[in-house]
Amino acid sequence: MTRRKKAVILTAAASIFAASLASVAEFKVEGAPKAAIILFGPKNDGGWSQAFEEARPALEKALGAKIPMVEKVSEDSASISPPVERFIQRGYNIIIGTAFGYSDTFKKLSESYPKIAFLNASGITNGPNLESFYGRTYQSQYLCGMAAAAASKTGKLGFVAANPLPVVNWTINAYELGARTINPDATLTVVFTGSWNDPVKERAAASALIDEGIDVIGQHVDTPTPQIVAQERGVYGTGHHRDLTEFAPKATQCSSVWTWAKFLAPEIEKIKAGSWEPAPYGAFPGIKEGGTDIACCGPAVSADNKKKIMAARQSIIDGNPVFTGPLKDRDGKERLAANVAITDPELWTMDWFVPGVISQK
Amino acid sequence: MTTFFVTWLATIPQLAVPYALAALGLILSERAGVLNLTAEGLMLVGALASVAVLLTFRPDPLVAMMAGMLAAAAVSVLFSFLVIVLRVNQVIAGLVIVFFCQGLTSLLGNLFGWTSKAFSGLGPVSLGVLADIPVIGPILFRQDVIVYLMIPIVFGVSYLLQRTRLGLRLRAVGESPEAADAMGVSVSMTRFLAVTAGSALVGLAGAYIAVANVKVWIDDMTSGRGWIAIALVIFARWNPWRAAAGALLFGSIQAVIPKLAAAGIVLPQYLLMTTPYLATLGVMIWVSIRHLNGPSDEPGALGQPYVREERR
Repeated sequence: MTRRKKAVILTAAASIFAASLASVAEFKVEGAPKAAIILFGPKNDGGWSQAFEEARPALEKALGAKIPMVEKVSEDSASISPPVERFIQRGYNIIIGTAFGYSDTFKKLSESYPKIAFLNASGITNGPNLESFYGRTYQSQYLCGMAAAAASKTGKLGFVAANPLPVVNWTINAYELGARTINPDATLTVVFTGSWNDPVKERAAASALIDEGIDVIGQHVDTPTPQIVAQERGVYGTGHHRDLTEFAPKATQCSSVWTWAKFLAPEIEKIKAGSWEPAPYGAFPGIKEGGTDIACCGPAVSADNKKKIMAARQSIIDGNPVFTGPLKDRDGKERLAANVAITDPELWTMDWFVPGVISQK
Repeated sequence: MTTFFVTWLATIPQLAVPYALAALGLILSERAGVLNLTAEGLMLVGALASVAVLLTFRPDPLVAMMAGMLAAAAVSVLFSFLVIVLRVNQVIAGLVIVFFCQGLTSLLGNLFGWTSKAFSGLGPVSLGVLADIPVIGPILFRQDVIVYLMIPIVFGVSYLLQRTRLGLRLRAVGESPEAADAMGVSVSMTRFLAVTAGSALVGLAGAYIAVANVKVWIDDMTSGRGWIAIALVIFARWNPWRAAAGALLFGSIQAVIPKLAAAGIVLPQYLLMTTPYLATLGVMIWVSIRHLNGPSDEPGALGQPYVREERR
């Protein structure tokens, strides 16, 4: 090794060291860490917002202090900024948001308050003191798809979803891929309601699916209505957000549930220790890191199939991807070559469906 | 294919009834000259009140729905006070009532834990052998009692407006309050009664969504159906029968969208979802062209507060 090369390597190493020092030194909350949660919906909405409310006790334990929260903060700057700034004035220095629509306001706030740590669920903005996070819902929905196929007698599964966005499309695709590991002929018919919270449309969608002979209804909408309809009509279903057996004890066989405490508690510990570094493109935890998990299984899933589902869960935790090649979409176009796993950017732009998914374009 | 049409036609009434009831309620109020934008809010009040009564006292679902009507009528007294007594701008008062009701119902629903609690609600009327007739059985004879009551309700509202002395007074107050006043009709009292009765129907529309259709209370569950009812009144040109027909049109479009998807018929998703709105636009243009040179049908004093002896 020449002197010159050595010098280059040394300089590079030094600069990396300096950079890592800088980024560690860059962010540390002032004073004792105090956290507050800004909830998008009511704390007992039975879904998305309640999942955060239920994570709160564990987070309080991790922090060693009470974590106050405000409910029903809608997705506009005029609603978000006042409660956040009030918390900051009262000495709170970790602000946890819970909505996609908070993204821009949180970005601005994080720039105005560089000493405050901001975390935002389902957001899309990040920064030196701002981290958006979302769970790998396709992992848990893959397992629920297995449960759905196990519970189905007809092999015809249905799904009530809000809008064909990438986060919804990956749920649908994973559900069908999971279902086909149990029943290779399983099909998944999807009805999009165009709304996250319209029980009238959700009931119409679930009823229409059941009228077509579908006997398990999965869902990616915010209300438990599809499960309630499934129970009423004597078929099965799988839930989203939380364990929906609470609303449809006979119907719901599996639910994809948020496990935010598992992800946020270590994040809070890191902020406390001064070693927190927001992921530059946001955090994307899976079952292993505490994004989502499953509440499984109901009595319609046989013990044998339950064993298969739990084995698949372990395999996902061990790092085996849900979306892996060779994988073609339903139009026959190759999406993943053999032995190639899907990348995060590919997930976030997913606008195609796997074979067996029947839906509108 | 037969199943598709049978199940489609069978689901239309449930989706059409709320629009029809709310539109009829608004027609009563607007024919008396009070522009009523409160529907979205009062539907929520009707929905929550009926669910509250149902979950608390477990009465007959119809009794719970009556409670919803009463609650909406009670809240409408506040609206009447604002627009008839205080003569506040009717558009602003209407919007204020909607926001007030949205906040209030969501708060109470959460406070008392009525959110997302399923109940059995109002089921279909049992009509014995009639319900088992193929094709027409499921379409005509497996509906709930409110669906069957819609015919007398539409007829009743139409008869009241066109054939009774009370209806004549109501319309006079809406067309020309000065003339009605000069004839000895109490403008304020007539308007108050029209708004209250109309609001009870709007409340029933909300109660129907909660108790007969969805069978659960969820925040903001009317999802804009009150606003659609307001548009429906305009395109029905304040006529009860046309409003009922419009409600059926809306109901059938809303019923067919998930049906098509469930049957695996592949169509462009977003285009399909805009069809109810395209239909509204289309019908409105058609009706406007037909009435281009005729009378506008709009009540003459709609939206104007009445002040005796005031020059206009």
